[in-house]
Amino acid sequence: MAPLLSLESATKQFGGLIANREVSLTIEPGEIVGLIGPNGAGKTTLFNCITGYMHPDAGRILFGGTDVTHTRPERICRLGVARTWQVVRAFGRMTALDNVVCGALQRTNRMSEARARAGALLEFTGLGGKTDLPAATLTLADKKRLEIARALATRPKLLLLDEAMSGLTPLETTAAVQLVRRIHAELKVTICVVEHVMEVVMPLSHRVVVLDYGVKIADGPPEGVVRDEQVIRAYLGERRAAR
Amino acid sequence: MSRIALVIGAIAAIVYPIPLQLQGYTYYQTVGFLVLLNAMLGIGWNVVGGWAGQFDFGPQVFFAVGAYTAALLFVKLGVGAWLGLVAAVVVAFLICAVLTYPLTRLRGHYFAIATVAIWMIAQPIGATWEFIGGSQGLFIPVKPRGGVVASALSLQFSGPTKALGYYYASLVLFAITLALMALVERSKLGYYFRAIRDDQEAAEGIGIDSRLYKVLARSITAAVFAAGGVLYAFWALSVFPEQALELNWSTLPIMATVVGGIGRLWGPVLGAIILIPIAQIMSTTLGTGPLAGRGVDLIVYGLIIVLIAAFRPTGLLSLPWARWFRLRRSATA
Amino acid sequence: MTELAQAVVNGLQMGFLYALVAVGLTIIWGLMEMINFAHGEFLMLGMFAAWGLSAAFGLDPLIAIVPIGLVMFAFGMLVYQQLMRRVQGGDPFTQIFATIGLLFLLQNAVVAAFTSDYRFANDTLLVRLGGAKLTLLGLTFAVPLLLAAGLALVLFLALYLLIERTEFGLALQATSEDRDAARLVGIRPQRMFAVAWGLGAALVAVAGAILVNFFSVYPQVGLQFTVLAYAIVALGGFGSILGTLLAALLVGVIQSVTVVYLPPAFKDAFVFGSYLLIGLFRPQGLFGRF
Repeated sequence: MAPLLSLESATKQFGGLIANREVSLTIEPGEIVGLIGPNGAGKTTLFNCITGYMHPDAGRILFGGTDVTHTRPERICRLGVARTWQVVRAFGRMTALDNVVCGALQRTNRMSEARARAGALLEFTGLGGKTDLPAATLTLADKKRLEIARALATRPKLLLLDEAMSGLTPLETTAAVQLVRRIHAELKVTICVVEHVMEVVMPLSHRVVVLDYGVKIADGPPEGVVRDEQVIRAYLGERRAAR
Repeated sequence: MSRIALVIGAIAAIVYPIPLQLQGYTYYQTVGFLVLLNAMLGIGWNVVGGWAGQFDFGPQVFFAVGAYTAALLFVKLGVGAWLGLVAAVVVAFLICAVLTYPLTRLRGHYFAIATVAIWMIAQPIGATWEFIGGSQGLFIPVKPRGGVVASALSLQFSGPTKALGYYYASLVLFAITLALMALVERSKLGYYFRAIRDDQEAAEGIGIDSRLYKVLARSITAAVFAAGGVLYAFWALSVFPEQALELNWSTLPIMATVVGGIGRLWGPVLGAIILIPIAQIMSTTLGTGPLAGRGVDLIVYGLIIVLIAAFRPTGLLSLPWARWFRLRRSATA
Repeated sequence: MTELAQAVVNGLQMGFLYALVAVGLTIIWGLMEMINFAHGEFLMLGMFAAWGLSAAFGLDPLIAIVPIGLVMFAFGMLVYQQLMRRVQGGDPFTQIFATIGLLFLLQNAVVAAFTSDYRFANDTLLVRLGGAKLTLLGLTFAVPLLLAAGLALVLFLALYLLIERTEFGLALQATSEDRDAARLVGIRPQRMFAVAWGLGAALVAVAGAILVNFFSVYPQVGLQFTVLAYAIVALGGFGSILGTLLAALLVGVIQSVTVVYLPPAFKDAFVFGSYLLIGLFRPQGLFGRF
């Protein structure tokens, strides 16, 4: 089966800093892939390139067979990629429902249908009772759920979660992991998570990709990756600090 | 807008000029005309400024485009005012769309200066282009038609019911604009505009083509301003570049919108009802008599604006007593 | 060809004056991202002050820039503390609205005091040097304009050094980069903003005092300079002082070259046309930060 997402030697440079150096990876439909690496490894840059906010200086990115290397973000969303943001970005002045409606309007032009779908997704993500609250007043955990609901409203084939667990309490983190599992199992969405919390990423992912200083240094099942020499070295010292 | 307030307001607006007519106070009908015109422009500006959140200081250009288009069609081809209005709206929409699309790569204040730039370029064009009369402008010859219906259809009122006629014409246009913008607000367009305002990049991430929708927002505003320009042209019976392109045609509606509450559909209405009569009253009291020509009325006006801005920055519609006038789903503002 | 070269030279000199007009805006905007419609009104006040002092006491505008600068510095700080501080955190349109109100206030206060009549500064040094010319490389330099441009350049450089080389200037820059981080190192943002407004008002008023030698003085003279100053600041890139200088020179040149070939009504149109053109290729201006 053809991979859903395919990066071929993607390279992205900012002046003298090479954020992504010839990164090649694939994501198969139905996988949950974890993308990890020390701070500054280039994970968010990779996400930005995949979703069209930046364009690689070299290499190609293909989604579902279509070359999206130089495509704008809105078009990539239309093709079926949705993302959440490292620093949560809800539409603060709108209600939670309206936030998700904006996402749903991507796939339907009928307001009633969009609102119904939005309501259902808010229930799914556990925000059922908060539909009419202004997004800016929600807690951080709820805002993250809102972002996920809004992203899901665009009916993505691939969902990219950028540090969705950061800033959450242990209880909130467990709930978030359950949500990710449900999205994968019930909505049949392929997922790629960027995470720092090892206890979250390892059990969740079918496969883990490790970046260090812009280079992919490992790619395989979690059990293999944690034992990989290079990975251990990259995390030396940080491994003890990870929760 | 709560239903009761809406009905009361509508009745008040319809009935307002009648006692004035009977007493012969046509000046106040004209004040009403100006309130409605500026409220209409404010509602139009709210689309690009309040909903889409773009700094746009150039819609007066499309006010002039509307005025000139309708005036030209009438003077050169004898096209009636209302048909001319439709044409003017379409022309303004298209010109704005074409001009704005390349500008969408400019963000924030750079975009604002670009809108001013178009205005600055339009000024000498207006003053020197002979086809539209240059600095001599265009005159709309008055052809008074007898009868109410004929006058209304040609948008030319004269005689003792002149101000009355224009008042009702502006009321009709205002009502149409309000209704249309209310539809826009609840539509996909409205949602997308507000998404772009709140976070443009996040909006793009859920599939919103920010460039397209910025162009649409601005062009809708342009269309409303063009309609206002047509109304103005047939009221003033002349179109001069300095008058039609005056910055006041955008600053006054913007001020009305900010005073009333930016982003709220009825904001500009409240703002216009407050600001314009104040300006008029002051110019007739403080601006005449011993202090005439000394700008005292404008000093007070400026002071009022400064005080409102300093002490009620979120606009007057956010005051508790104004809750009767607010949309029920207030979080969509 | 020499007509063109002459126009360029004249434009450059005007450009230095424009740079002084615009740089105050760069500081205020660069620091607080605030739009100020009343910027030109500060210039107008500087002009009136210079004219008034010249007419009443025979004080030459070039000397008067010192007291005018000081007074307007205090005035700018006052405007910030009483008005702009209150609207700072809110909607940007409210800020704009507030400055429009300020514009009405200031402009009409002057109308009330002096009427809208046009005034001229008659007996100043530069006016008396009116006909003096300097010829260099086949190009004519009018001495008054040359001296004024020189003074403007000196003041501009002084400001540049203030911002780039002094601790105060660094504090100002730090606040504009990251308000909270600045707080952490003991800088008080509110104070920086007040000083920025003071500096901005003082600089543009001083520019007005210099310009009184060349332009007629009337209460409505400010708006055209406000619009031009914004174009310059945007063209140079909001927040870049060097960008402001280069953009101002460019604008001066565009204006005077345009006037050679077209009616004067078009000179600003070409400035803004150039802005649009440059904006298409460099949306952040020549030296803009983003």
